[in-house]
Amino acid sequence: MKKVMTGNEAVAHGVKLSRVQVISAYPITPQTTIVEELSEMCADGRLQARFLKVESEHSAMASILASCTAGARSFTATSSHGLALMHEMLHWAAGARLPVVMVNVNRALGSPWNIWTEQTDSLSQRDTGWIQLYCENNQEVVDTIPQAYRIAEIVKLPVMVVLDAFVLSHTAEPTDIPDADLVDEFLPPFKSDFTLTSRRHQAFNPIMSPDYYMEFRHKIQEAMDQTKKVARDVDEEYERLLGRGYGVMEKYNWDGFDTVLVTSGAVTSTSRFVADELNREGIRVGLLKIKMFRPFPTEEIREVLGGLRKVAVLDRGLSFGQSGFFAQEIRSTFCNEEERPRIFGFVTGLGGRDVTPEMIREMIIHTLENDRPKEEIIWVGLKQ
Amino acid sequence: MSKVLAYKRESELPRVPVSLGDMKWSRTGSWRYMRPEYEDKTPPCNQACPAGIDIVRFLMLVEEGKIKDAWLKIKEENPFPGTCGRVCFHPCEAHCNRGQYDQPVSINGLERFVADATRRATLRHLDRNPKNAEKIAIIGSGPAGLSCAYHLARLGYDPEVFEALSVPGGILRVGIPEYRLSTDVLRREISDIEALGVKIRTGMRVDKQFLDRHEEEYQAIFLATGAHHSQQMDIPEEEGPGVIPGLTFLREIKMDQKIRPGKRVAVIGGGNTALDAARSALRLGSQPFILYRRSQDEMPAFTGEIEEALEEGVRIEFLTQPVRIIREKGRMAGIECVKMRLGGVDQSGRKRPIPVQGSNFTLDVDGILVAVGEVPDTSLVGDSGVFTVEEVSQSESRGIFFGGDLVSPFRTVAHAIGSGKRAAISIDAFLRKENASQALEMTQIGENGTVSMRKYLDPEYRALSRHVVSFDELNTAYFESMERTERRRAPVSGRIRNFREVNRGLSSREARYEAERCFKCGTCNECENCYVFCPDVSILKNMRKLKHAINYDYCKGCGICFNECPRGAISIKEEER
Repeated sequence: MKKVMTGNEAVAHGVKLSRVQVISAYPITPQTTIVEELSEMCADGRLQARFLKVESEHSAMASILASCTAGARSFTATSSHGLALMHEMLHWAAGARLPVVMVNVNRALGSPWNIWTEQTDSLSQRDTGWIQLYCENNQEVVDTIPQAYRIAEIVKLPVMVVLDAFVLSHTAEPTDIPDADLVDEFLPPFKSDFTLTSRRHQAFNPIMSPDYYMEFRHKIQEAMDQTKKVARDVDEEYERLLGRGYGVMEKYNWDGFDTVLVTSGAVTSTSRFVADELNREGIRVGLLKIKMFRPFPTEEIREVLGGLRKVAVLDRGLSFGQSGFFAQEIRSTFCNEEERPRIFGFVTGLGGRDVTPEMIREMIIHTLENDRPKEEIIWVGLKQ
Repeated sequence: MSKVLAYKRESELPRVPVSLGDMKWSRTGSWRYMRPEYEDKTPPCNQACPAGIDIVRFLMLVEEGKIKDAWLKIKEENPFPGTCGRVCFHPCEAHCNRGQYDQPVSINGLERFVADATRRATLRHLDRNPKNAEKIAIIGSGPAGLSCAYHLARLGYDPEVFEALSVPGGILRVGIPEYRLSTDVLRREISDIEALGVKIRTGMRVDKQFLDRHEEEYQAIFLATGAHHSQQMDIPEEEGPGVIPGLTFLREIKMDQKIRPGKRVAVIGGGNTALDAARSALRLGSQPFILYRRSQDEMPAFTGEIEEALEEGVRIEFLTQPVRIIREKGRMAGIECVKMRLGGVDQSGRKRPIPVQGSNFTLDVDGILVAVGEVPDTSLVGDSGVFTVEEVSQSESRGIFFGGDLVSPFRTVAHAIGSGKRAAISIDAFLRKENASQALEMTQIGENGTVSMRKYLDPEYRALSRHVVSFDELNTAYFESMERTERRRAPVSGRIRNFREVNRGLSSREARYEAERCFKCGTCNECENCYVFCPDVSILKNMRKLKHAINYDYCKGCGICFNECPRGAISIKEEER
């Protein structure tokens, strides 16, 4: 059924379709309307879940880790500072191998205060052991949440589903709500390894000596490696059942191009528009949308970008003192390859500044006109 | 408990380390360096009560709707809740921590409520000791004497009380006007005391000879003859008709004697006797005005009494001192006064009144009631003179004890009741050849010297520590503002022509509400904050009735229970290892 809905409403529908049993969250702009909608769903019985009010994001994450350990499918959502406050618990979630799902609405971090979109909040959590899936539009949001649970529960790792503040979270667009029965077929009920009750106690994750700690870390890395295939398979199954698939990345205008632009999130839609426009003008531009940032699809990227001379990467966030996150990842993918493209790393749209078609066109033209990047970061739209 | 597992390869390891058992073997209490403890402490009201009533616990019983138990709880310490609920100056309220938050709890009103709501209850359930054979004489049946008799009866004695007047009760019976304390209420409380086996012999004035004979008949004597002698003004023409001592006036009214003080009556003094005399004169149809040599701030009378008197239209001339009574042909024609001004602070802590030269004036009066202070008759005390400091003094070798207004500078009903209780404990210790001052010390409430009979009768009782809970020790985040219920008074028009009671009691709903307002300073009322907050699940509930405990096997001493206890019933101190 198609409905006009915001990205945050799409999240709530995705959670409802996934038959989540425990929700614990603390409100923060621009995530707030997700938990408002979910709390109403819990209150009026549309969603049979326990909604836990907590005093901080740290507690929100801690409590869903507990409920997930006890055997309940669990969810939380946050943004920016809230995600940063959870940091310790993010590591814990992966270490404890708990298949929880969290939505993060991308928002810039202070100081200074800023509530608008930027990817630094989620990308700077890349080393916590979470799978990260970036969504382009509200349809992808509602479809990705059941997929996230499916992946998480197979590989036993937590999944973060990411969407842009306001551009998606608060912007309504026609969105098809997947058929609940089909989603049930796609996503079986959560079977936890353990079931805890007030009478049945067990102790989890005690202190681990140097004798074994490293092996448990290695197992996480193995699970991440496994995820690359699992995520693809899950998406294919979803597409087979529900008619929509996204892959872990998507190639667009993928033939006879002169150069390729790599994007993620909502700005991909603008980029599609620019690429189409340039193609009409005779400039062939391909797009590579990366949906799965962790695990990073290294092999697939080598395969699709290997052999190209130049690649432009659009980053909406950066690691200060290095460069844009996606640019770094793509550069490192190719460092041991004989043939490797030159990577043009563009940083733009920080703190919610609009990334306009003109700016995207500028990046592409710059890449076409220059033989090699003059610096690691090419700032676009900066008032200089 | 535990065994060592050795894995050779990663593939042998589980996905996550999980114990199939629980972690109870890990006694995290060993990490503790601070130790929280439940410790019921003394609330400031309890310390302030000269009669030593366990106020918090009686209020908790009111809150639970157990009014009879609340009455017995008061009666453990004080045989006169109905009386004190009417006439006590309630220092408990002045010290109530709630006073620093919004307004103090209406404790005095609650005491009266409990007494009035249990009119037909009996003391059957009050703890008592087995019978003792020693004979004890108590001289004076006022609040001190009867309190002593009551507590001695509970300690297993059958004391005899000797009363000079034809009725028992002392100052309560003959010194407090009916509109403040009805004789019915008093009579009922005295009969409770008699029901415990106390014999009251009225019309028996005790003299020196009686005392000299005591050694054969009585093993101990308690002297509590009060302070009934009105002081004189010492001014010219004071002797003669028309001048009546205030206490005599009040006594005559209570003894149903026809007494008319005059049409225009000057009442001299600023204490409770002066107020009582003026308001009684008003009720007899006179026009009273009080002459007081200082200002209202210095008046020793209770504030409520002053308010009520002014409400009723009693005039008070402040900074006015009589200098001479004017008599013409033997008839009183007026009183000459001088205006005063206030100088420096004197020994009593009040500003010293100084006559203003040439400010003399005459008031037209035909009656004068003198209430400038009362002194005790010390003829029975002996050569040692008047006792002014010690509430209970003791001449141990002779087994004679003194108490109440006879020796106390405080002159309140509550102090007299407390004094009688101290005497009872002292006498019991004396007769058992134990150390009386040690017994008093052991049963002390807080630091003010009031004592608890409950503690004396039952040393095992979950007693309050001596520490008095201050406002700063409460976590007031857990309390909400609740406005105090003031007691209503009868309308002025309906009360100035008769002696019917002025103050009304609280309704049972108001009483429940007021009891709920009590912070229960220092007393665990099982609010369960500690239980809810303890991160180590180490609060053990209901180990004993009304008693939580801490599981020290697991308590890490984080102190959250101590911080979140709203009422200071948990203490924390460094762990001794």
